[in-house]
Amino acid sequence: MGSAMKLVTWSLATFHATAFVLAIVLFAYSRDALGAGLSSLNTFVGLGLFVALWGTTYLTTSRALRGLDLISSARDRNRYASRALRWGAANGMSFLAILGAVAIVGAIANTRPGQVASGILFSALFIAPIALVVSAAVGGAVGGLFGIIDLGLFALAGLGGRGTDG
Amino acid sequence: MDLDPNVLHVAIRWLHVAAMATAFGGAITVLALSARPAPDSANAVLSVAIRYEWMFWAAAGVLAMTGIGNLAAFGAALLGPATNWGATLVLKLGSVLTLVVLSLPRTLAVVRMSSPAGSGLASVTTIRNLYGATTAALATILAFAIWLAHG
Repeated sequence: MGSAMKLVTWSLATFHATAFVLAIVLFAYSRDALGAGLSSLNTFVGLGLFVALWGTTYLTTSRALRGLDLISSARDRNRYASRALRWGAANGMSFLAILGAVAIVGAIANTRPGQVASGILFSALFIAPIALVVSAAVGGAVGGLFGIIDLGLFALAGLGGRGTDG
Repeated sequence: MDLDPNVLHVAIRWLHVAAMATAFGGAITVLALSARPAPDSANAVLSVAIRYEWMFWAAAGVLAMTGIGNLAAFGAALLGPATNWGATLVLKLGSVLTLVVLSLPRTLAVVRMSSPAGSGLASVTTIRNLYGATTAALATILAFAIWLAHG
């Protein structure tokens, strides 16, 4: 990957993670629903979850952009939209896996040893497939939406033409 | 040993201010370099702008992360959006979101200009306009932040 595409990947991934979180915070706060949600969140866990989202978004954005030249190829920009949907779903599942792991470890730490298998692990095994499907759907929808927004912003930056691929 | 929550909150605020200083100071630096460019300095200005873009996005991520940490420190005492403080916070969050959205085309434009066909005096003029707008947006956000902290 060239240094130009590395910068594009870094900026796209950070843009997606920060815009997603800021939009949720702005929406929740404007409806007076933020204080209660944040007060129940441990500061370290909150910071850790943002870093996790940032990390999974960077990795999935890197995979979505692999082999594409968004700067000079209009064909690659068109291919990017469908990849954004697919890798958005992967990002949703990856983030849920981290969220689930944190929740399970936290629950195990607060449960008597004899009840871990029946009370937590069995429930987690039952819920995990459903949660993964939901997270893939939500991630895919968010990824697809960002794919469309990104293409609009590419056009705003003067990258909406035919490019060098004829 | 438990960490004093006040120490954690001060550390998060320090990181927040440091990230803002990086984003704002860097934008002013690129703007100053592009304001009166020497005839052969286009590539140097573009090179600084490219480095700034790497730092800007790191700062944007840190600002979002620590900004939420700052809000979490208020807990249930966080004032609602109907108050003057809350309305200003909504304006600040909206300004940050707008800046983040409009910064992506700025980064892409700078990357496009860094291609061999894109450099020259016209690029420096575009850089001056892009970083002038970025500096103005960051100054507005900083004014909201100061009002929220001390107003």
